[in-house]
Amino acid sequence: MRRLLILIIFLVSLLPPNHLAEAGGEDLFQSLRQNVLELQKTVRSLQQTVQSQNEVLRQQAIQISDLQKGNESAVPRPSAGQAVLPAEAPKSVGGFNPDTGVIGTVQTKLTQSKEDAEGNDTIALKELELNFGQAVDPYSRLDATISFNDDLEEQNANIEEAYYTRWGLPLGFTGQIGKFRAKIGKQNLMHLHTLPTGNYPLVIRDFFGEEGLAASGVRLQNHIPNPWDLPFEVTGEVLRGNNGPSFSGVSRRPIFNTHVKTFFEPSQDANLELGWTTMFGDENPPLRILNDDGTTTMETRPEGTDRYGVKVFGADVTFNWFLPEGKKVQLQNEIYFQNRTDLVHVNSHPWGFYSQLDYRFSPRFCAGIRFDYLSPLDVSDRHGSTEVSPYLIFWQSEYADLKLQYSHVNPAGNGNKVDNAVFITVDFLIGAHQHAIQ
Amino acid sequence: MTERIIAMKIRLTRFFLFCFIWPLVFPSAGFCAAGKIKIVATSSTLASIAEEITDRKADIYFIAAPKRDIHFIAPTPKDVMKLKEADVFIHAGLDLEAWRDPLLNAVGRLDFMWPAGEKQIDVSKGISLLEVPETLSRAQGDIHVYGNPHYWMDPENAKIIARNIAEKLAALYPEDQEWFLRNAETFSRKIDGRLASWSREMVPYHGSPVVVYHASWSYFAERFGLVIAGELELKPGIPPAPKHISELVASMKEKHVRVIITEPYRERRTPDRIAKETGARVLTLTQSVGAFKEAQDYLSMLDYDLTKVAEGVKAGRETP
Repeated sequence: MRRLLILIIFLVSLLPPNHLAEAGGEDLFQSLRQNVLELQKTVRSLQQTVQSQNEVLRQQAIQISDLQKGNESAVPRPSAGQAVLPAEAPKSVGGFNPDTGVIGTVQTKLTQSKEDAEGNDTIALKELELNFGQAVDPYSRLDATISFNDDLEEQNANIEEAYYTRWGLPLGFTGQIGKFRAKIGKQNLMHLHTLPTGNYPLVIRDFFGEEGLAASGVRLQNHIPNPWDLPFEVTGEVLRGNNGPSFSGVSRRPIFNTHVKTFFEPSQDANLELGWTTMFGDENPPLRILNDDGTTTMETRPEGTDRYGVKVFGADVTFNWFLPEGKKVQLQNEIYFQNRTDLVHVNSHPWGFYSQLDYRFSPRFCAGIRFDYLSPLDVSDRHGSTEVSPYLIFWQSEYADLKLQYSHVNPAGNGNKVDNAVFITVDFLIGAHQHAIQ
Repeated sequence: MTERIIAMKIRLTRFFLFCFIWPLVFPSAGFCAAGKIKIVATSSTLASIAEEITDRKADIYFIAAPKRDIHFIAPTPKDVMKLKEADVFIHAGLDLEAWRDPLLNAVGRLDFMWPAGEKQIDVSKGISLLEVPETLSRAQGDIHVYGNPHYWMDPENAKIIARNIAEKLAALYPEDQEWFLRNAETFSRKIDGRLASWSREMVPYHGSPVVVYHASWSYFAERFGLVIAGELELKPGIPPAPKHISELVASMKEKHVRVIITEPYRERRTPDRIAKETGARVLTLTQSVGAFKEAQDYLSMLDYDLTKVAEGVKAGRETP
C-alpha cells in the first residue's frame, strides 16, 4: 500500500505543468499566491501595530525615567497620549463649518495735499475682510470675501468676492461663477493686504478702480497641453459691464477678458512668468443725432451701443530669484494700453505701467520700490503722471505686518500739484486664510 | 462698424475653439516616457522614497525645491501643470504643506483632493505624532493642528511612509503589486540595517543638548537620543526676538549647549551671533534630499545629518 502511494506521488510529480494548469492548477496557484500576498499584508499591518505599541511603551518609559530623575523640564517631550494620537484627525475642529478668517487693514496717510479727502492725514480702518471657504461637495467649493470699510462718507459692507468653483469639467477645465477679481495681470488679482504697498499701482487704479476690477461673471480656465512641456494657462472671462472707470457702459453689455500665461524655470533658484491680457468692453457715450431741421441732439441709449469701443491690452512679467538663507528678489512689471473709440474720457489712447522691485532680505524685513507711469483716462497731456514709492515691510509674525511707504506723485495735467505722502499700514489676521494660486 | 463687430466675434470664437480643440490634439503631452507612472510628490524626500518603491517604473516630479522651506512654497504654473498631468499625488498629509489646498484647488483634479481623493497618497497614515497641541491658539505661534509634521526624520517613520506608498500603488496598479511591496520590504530592511549602525554610532552622544532654529528636529532627536534644549524661534514660526535670544544664550551657557542646528533656508546671522557668544557650533543640516551633494537619497541624507551632529557634538565637548 505504501509503495503504491509513493508510486502515485512519483507519477503525479512527473506530470507536465500545463497538465496541472488544465486541471485547474493555475487557478490554485494564483489563489495561493493571492493568499500569500494577503498574509504578507496582514503581517505588515500587525508589525505596524506592534511598532506603534512599542512606541507608546518607549515614550512611557522615557517619561517614567525622566520623572524618576526629576529632570522632566530639561527634555520637553509630549505625553504618551499625545504621541499616539492618530494622524488622520478631522480637518476642521468646527466640523462642517467653513474655514473662516478675519483680516484687518488699518492705514494712516500723511499727505502734503490740503484736500479733505478720504484718507488724507487720518487713521482709517481701510477694510476688514471676512473670508469663508469650504468644499460644497466632492466636485466644487465656495469662496467668499466680505469687506467692511470705514469711509468718511458712509460705512459700508461690500461683497469683494463670492464665487463657486466647479472642478473636473470636460477636458480638464475649471469653471468659476459669481463675483471675483478679474484675471488681469498680477496685482489686480491680489487683495489689498497681500500687496507689498499700501495702494494698487497707478495704472490699475486709473483703469480699473481704486481697488482694482472685481465683477460678477463666469470664468473658464485650463492648462493647454503642448509638445514643448511648457506651462501654458488660458483663462477666459465674461464679466458684467458697467464696471470700473474704463468700462462705464451698461450692465447688459459684458466685458470679455482673456489672460494667457506661460512660465520658464531656468534653474531651481529662478523663474520667469509671462502673461498677456486682452479685454473688450463698452462705454455708453451719448450719440450725436442729426434732426430733420438740421440741428443735432445728444442721446444716450439705455441698451448701450452695439460695439466694443474699449479695448485693453496688457502684458505682465514677473521674475523671481531665490537666494540662500530664504532671501528672495522679485521684479514685477505690468503694462497696459487702451484703444478707445467711445470718447467718454478725453484720452483715446491711455496707457501706463509699473515696475516693482522687492527684496526679502530677512525673515522679518522686506524692502522695495515701485515706479508708476500713467497717461490717464481723463487727461490728454503729453506728460503723464508718475509715482515713486519706496517701502519697507516688517513682519511681526506670519499673521501681522507693518508697512511703511513713501510716495512722490507728480500728476499729469495743468494745475495738479505734486504730492508727497507717507503711508503706514498695519495688517492683522486671525483664523484660516489661504490665497488662491495666481 | 458692423464688420468690425463681426470680425471681433469671429476672433473671440476662434480663440475659444482653439482652447477647446488644442487639448484634444495633445491630450497626453506630459513629463515622462510612455508606460511609466507619473508621480508628483510635494517634497524631494518623499520623491526619493517613492523612487525606492517604484524603482524605474515611475517618473517622479517634486514641488518643493530642497533648499527652500516646505512650509512656505508658492506653487508655480509648472507645478500646477505637472499635477494636472500626473497619475498619483504623494504628500505629507496633516498641515505641513500649507500650500497644498490652494494647489489642489488650482489643479482641480477630484481624484487628488485631500483627504478623499483615490489617487492621492497621504504618507502620514499610521504615524505616531509628537507635540500634538492640547489647545489651538496662534498665541502659541504657528503651531500645527495635528502635531509636529516633520516625522520623516525618524527612520522608523520612513518605513511607514514607504509602506503607505507601496500599498496604495499596489492597490492602484495591481499588476505591479508584488514589485512595489517587495521594494518597500527591501527599503525597510536597508533602513533597519543602517538604523542599527546609526544607533551604535550615536551612543556616545546620547543625552547631548542641542538648540534648534525651528521645532522640526523632534523626531530626529528622539530617535538618536539628542536633547532639544531650546529653539531660536520665540514660538514655532515666530522669528527670533532680541529678548528671547538673550535668554536663550544664558540658558545655553548654563546647560553647556555646544550645537545649534539650522537648515539651509534659515538666516545665519542670528545663529552665528549666538554661536559667537556661547562657543557653540552652527550645523546646517537638511530634511530634504538633494539639498547637499552628499544627501542624494533618504539614507545618505540621514548619513550626512548624523555625521555632522556627531562631529559637532564631539568638537563641542572638546572645546573648554
